[in-house]
Amino acid sequence: MTSIPTRGTTTGRATGSVARPARSPRRGRLRVGAVPYLFLAPGVILFAVFIVWPAVQALRMSFYDWKIVAGAISRWVGLDNYVRAVQDPHFWLSLTNSGIYMLATVAPQMALGLAIALLLKRKSPVQPLFRVLFYLPVVTSWVVVSLLFKYLFADSGLVNFTLHDFLHLMNSDVSWLAQRGTALVVICLLGIWKGIGWSMMIYLAALQGVPQALEEAAIMDGAGRWQRFRAVTLPAVNPATVFLSVMLVIGGLNVFASVVLVTNGGPIGQTDVVLTYMYKQAFTYLDFGYGSAIAMLLAVLVFVLAVLQLRIARGRADEALA
Amino acid sequence: MLHRGRYRIRFAQGRHHHLLGAYGNGGNSTQQDALNKTLIPAFEKANPGITVKYVDVAYDSLLQKLTTSAAGGKLPDLVRADLGWVPQFADLGVLEPLSTSMSDYKALAAKDYPGSVATNRYKGEYYGLPLDTNTRVLITSQQALDKAGVSEPPKTFADLKTMATALKGTGVSLWADSKLEAWNIAPWIWSGGGEFTNKAETKATGYLNSAANAATIQMLVDWYKEGLIPNLLTGNSGAVATQDGLPKNDYATIFDGPWMAGVWSGSYKDFHPIYAPIPAGKGGSVSVVGGEDIVMTASSAHKAAAAKFIRFTQSKQFQIEMAKTGQLTVQPRLADQQAEMAADYSVYSDQLKTAKSRIASPNQSKIDAVLAAALTPAFTGGTTVKAALNSAASQIDALLSGD
Repeated sequence: MTSIPTRGTTTGRATGSVARPARSPRRGRLRVGAVPYLFLAPGVILFAVFIVWPAVQALRMSFYDWKIVAGAISRWVGLDNYVRAVQDPHFWLSLTNSGIYMLATVAPQMALGLAIALLLKRKSPVQPLFRVLFYLPVVTSWVVVSLLFKYLFADSGLVNFTLHDFLHLMNSDVSWLAQRGTALVVICLLGIWKGIGWSMMIYLAALQGVPQALEEAAIMDGAGRWQRFRAVTLPAVNPATVFLSVMLVIGGLNVFASVVLVTNGGPIGQTDVVLTYMYKQAFTYLDFGYGSAIAMLLAVLVFVLAVLQLRIARGRADEALA
Repeated sequence: MLHRGRYRIRFAQGRHHHLLGAYGNGGNSTQQDALNKTLIPAFEKANPGITVKYVDVAYDSLLQKLTTSAAGGKLPDLVRADLGWVPQFADLGVLEPLSTSMSDYKALAAKDYPGSVATNRYKGEYYGLPLDTNTRVLITSQQALDKAGVSEPPKTFADLKTMATALKGTGVSLWADSKLEAWNIAPWIWSGGGEFTNKAETKATGYLNSAANAATIQMLVDWYKEGLIPNLLTGNSGAVATQDGLPKNDYATIFDGPWMAGVWSGSYKDFHPIYAPIPAGKGGSVSVVGGEDIVMTASSAHKAAAAKFIRFTQSKQFQIEMAKTGQLTVQPRLADQQAEMAADYSVYSDQLKTAKSRIASPNQSKIDAVLAAALTPAFTGGTTVKAALNSAASQIDALLSGD
């Protein structure tokens, strides 16, 4: 019977007739060092091909009057597409709408998500059912819920029926989707309703990590519920809050499907958000250079906001530690 | 594409968006069956050595698919294109100018409605031939006519005004439409005696903002302000759609195409629409041409075979077979035969004799956006009709000069 030295043991003894030369330490380190990269390679390659390369290509297109046809020569226009965006009132309107959506949806999703998570933290026989019910909108298709909201807020929809015909809170039906303001309200409500479940799940997970000892100590010190919430619970779920705020701000500025399906940017483009405006430029007008420039401007804005949020959060954490 | 020693023509098709919108999905199996089971086999039998591979693509996806294919240099040989895309793709240089490459183009085009042929024109060349056509006519109901106290559909703008007076305060709108784009307002503009541009389609100022157009649009604005036109027109996506509003008697009249019969036969079986020509104004009764054109791509490796198929689409066999599926023939000589299939088709055929095509421009989508954005404030009270038309005309001038 022969035995082969265990892998990685450079001093393995040869007990049989097959004697192998001892591996040099340097060669072993090299081999071990390459292994993690081999595991990383598929993900990195996919990321580079499907994310980095298209992003670089979009950046390149933004400097051209891009001709979509294969082999056609695109004209270099430098920063013209960016200047055009800055001077385009409709771009600013769409950016404002994206900003309004982000501001109006992020805080309510987080606040309501936390409130529901606190309620569902307690053990109860119906708790799993409520968790599923609150999470259901998250896993439901954007198409389905957007069309549902469109019908709810139609002139002859359930909302008007309830507020006007049933509760008599309004003198007449409201054309919710006919004006920018009310149409944006509908789109924001949809975003909040669909997003609460996700915030709830993140906070539910974070609440499991709140130290019980601290809670008990606070009770012993005579702290009330609100004081315990402020001094114990909120700081303990702060990492979840930071994560949620960054992700929801990014998601808020990238709103697209609900706008397309509920108003398609109407009336007359008044509810366009940056991505619907970008989409129209690129895929309706085939103006890919301008569309790419708009996409790049949004990407920069999202990146800057995410970095700022993380810096502010880190600064607060440092202050708390100090 | 060479296929077992035979030519294979790749043929992409997109259904008309009005049909799609009416049915709410991308499926029209009757047309696909007519092509795949009857027409293409007949063509292949008559033309040994040529195989046609027909790829059906839903209308919503086709523009994106064609754009992607153009970017990848992999366009099919033939495309059944929405007529609005012909100038757009001709401008990109991906279409073959048939008026140059097909020696019998003039003879073939002469058999078709002039308005339909005009949809293929771009910068002096013709890039396709009409495949099927449609137009908008006035559609009303007996219920609506009774409500307005009239015995027949309005034939003139004056008749419409009479109906408007009768319908005031009844809760029934005189007329409804979903947008203020060229497709929607062209019948009003042309029937009112106005134009969008000069003949060469290089200038809108002096034409779109003419006194005739101002009077026509003002007539619509007045009705809108009196509640006789719903705010569906100005972009309320929550308003009752025309296809529902007419059968429910919310709307007395609409302008729409031949696909509506199919919509109502499914959803409103007891509804009996009444079809009539667009009410005539100073310019007569003039509607707008819709439909699809067949175009050949410039990159096609089998142009002679593709041209043969294009000629086949202009044959009586092809036109009648497609008419059976609800696609109106592009040839006036076949109108009577078509009317035997459905009597209502004759209203459309008659309307097509004077129907006109929209501005042939690669910027047609932008022109539509300009028209809607400029005219909407005139209806909602943000500006005057004259100022709105002036603004639209100057913006369209810029788009036409940028062609």
